[in-house]
Amino acid sequence: MAKVELKKLFKTYNKKIKALEDINLTIEDGQFFVLLGPSGAGKTTTLRCIAGLEKIDSGDVLFNDENITHDQPASRDVTFVFQQYSLYPHYTVYENLAFPLRSPMRKLPEQEIKNKVEKIAEMLKITNKLKNKATQLSGGEMQRVAIGRALVREPNIYLMDEPLSSLDAKLRETLRVELKNIQLNLNATILYVTHDQAEATTLADKIGVLKEGKIVQIGTPEEIYENPNSIYVSQRLGSPKINILPGSLFKLDNNIPKIGLRPENIELGDGPYEGRVISIENLGSETVVAINFQDNEILASIQGSYKSSINEKINFDFNTNKVLKFDNIDQRIYER
Amino acid sequence: MDTSRSYLEPSSFSKKMAAAIIIVYAVITLIPISWMVMTSFKNVDSAISYPPEVLFEPSLEGYVNLFTNRSRQSQEYLDSLPPPKNWYEELVRSREMVITGPSKFLGRYSNSMIIGFGSTFASVFLGALAAYAFSRFRVPLKDDLLFFILSTRMFPPIAVAVPIFIMYRKLGLGDTHLGMIILYTVVNLSLAVWLLKGFMDEIPKEYEEAAMIDGYSRLQAFFKVVLPQAMTGIAATAIFCMIFSWNEYAFAVLLTQFNAQTAPPFIPTIIGEGGLDWPAIGAGTTLFLLPVMIFTIILRKHLLRGITFGAVRK
Repeated sequence: MAKVELKKLFKTYNKKIKALEDINLTIEDGQFFVLLGPSGAGKTTTLRCIAGLEKIDSGDVLFNDENITHDQPASRDVTFVFQQYSLYPHYTVYENLAFPLRSPMRKLPEQEIKNKVEKIAEMLKITNKLKNKATQLSGGEMQRVAIGRALVREPNIYLMDEPLSSLDAKLRETLRVELKNIQLNLNATILYVTHDQAEATTLADKIGVLKEGKIVQIGTPEEIYENPNSIYVSQRLGSPKINILPGSLFKLDNNIPKIGLRPENIELGDGPYEGRVISIENLGSETVVAINFQDNEILASIQGSYKSSINEKINFDFNTNKVLKFDNIDQRIYER
Repeated sequence: MDTSRSYLEPSSFSKKMAAAIIIVYAVITLIPISWMVMTSFKNVDSAISYPPEVLFEPSLEGYVNLFTNRSRQSQEYLDSLPPPKNWYEELVRSREMVITGPSKFLGRYSNSMIIGFGSTFASVFLGALAAYAFSRFRVPLKDDLLFFILSTRMFPPIAVAVPIFIMYRKLGLGDTHLGMIILYTVVNLSLAVWLLKGFMDEIPKEYEEAAMIDGYSRLQAFFKVVLPQAMTGIAATAIFCMIFSWNEYAFAVLLTQFNAQTAPPFIPTIIGEGGLDWPAIGAGTTLFLLPVMIFTIILRKHLLRGITFGAVRK
């Protein structure tokens, strides 16, 4: 495993479309780093630049302080789990897993390959599928094999491009847990791309938030959630989504253009503010209540169930210490 | 009756109609071929008898005549010879002839094999490489180049026969296997590039990217991952190329004579006594049909999807 650094990375497509702008990033050895952002933010491009599948315009890629910017993909010794189309359809599962080990870069003896493949197959619970053709697997099994093909090697870094996004919700959760366990066991360096906030918060040691080809904030999941530096970052994590409201609606000390209020920080029942209930959504462990407050929609999330009816008057309050304050250009205003 | 069929499925009546039409079509196309095969098993007399014989006593005279050169001899000379050693000698003697040696057919046939398979391999191999490049890389003037390649098929190849004839004579390529392989490859290449590009476009580039990350060079990834994926297209392209170069007549007549003559210009020159030797010609064409037939049957399972490529997507 290696420490991976990106320094002043710039990348444009077709000489016009800016994909990455001044990306600076350090992924420590053994770290699970998640790149978070909507589609088109440059997440996949970043991975492809590290893998060597895209030529970068300028900047450096360093593995363990060694500059590998101009190396071929094969010699970089990284693995890449694609979102889909990840298995070679004309091979069996075994051959798929053995493929990287048989490459001219490694050429391990067959016995060693067999041992490694069987070990990984056991770990991913696909031992009984080894003789199947890759096309005879279910979606979940395919993606397991794809992850397995990455895990048979001990590369400098594992690159994963939304590996779970094509799976159904239940399988996604199971594999997410498995993936985190595997990473901890192997002490693997992983750069993981997703737009799914649940994946980001559960998997990541560190999260990098991307916006239009730029990294806008890097931090632990807690830091990103509790201490976002802009409205954009604050909206990346949290479900239901953070409420962004004009500061003038509330009794706050000075003129604050915009505030961010997490739904779970709103207390319903009594308080200085009065609105009307728009909708009530019971999700089991929590209930999301949408409130119309002076023509702004506010979402509040309450533990357990909540008894109320549509259009009923409702009072609410919040802890002013938990309010995130933003200026006119959507940047965070920090308290002194 | 099964009433549970889907509305999208054709009714059993239309299925029967389709089958009937296909059978009629098959019969129409098979009549000349079966007549040819029948002729090859007739003897010289029954082949030209009128009214034509549908039921006849089979004879291998056509095949014997195809593979041998014979000369007519007087009865006294024939009587002076030792008794015939085998069945075909006996057959020839009964026609008052003796075998003077093997005919040129086998040589012409193997020329056809060498040139046919050689040019098919070359067209598919070069076509696959070019198609991959056009499919994956940013080639300058890509569309113009592709159009240029296609435009080489916009006139009948024989239109350039005279310049090619002169060129081949100057280059010493006339009447050589290499010359014919090059010529047929050039003609087939545009078809191969265009057909294969369609197939390459359908193969997700993630496959070779994954292989490159797994430690293979691009060329190794091409052979290990892309080519096996393109098998359907390669099979279909190979059949088209093979059929063209196997059947090609005009250039073969023009450019080959002794050394590299293929079977098509040779077969019609089989002349018997007092007219064309129809059973021998029938035998020649029947044998000539076999390789393409076998080749197509072997690659058949790839062919259906190959010909309808683009129409059916995953």
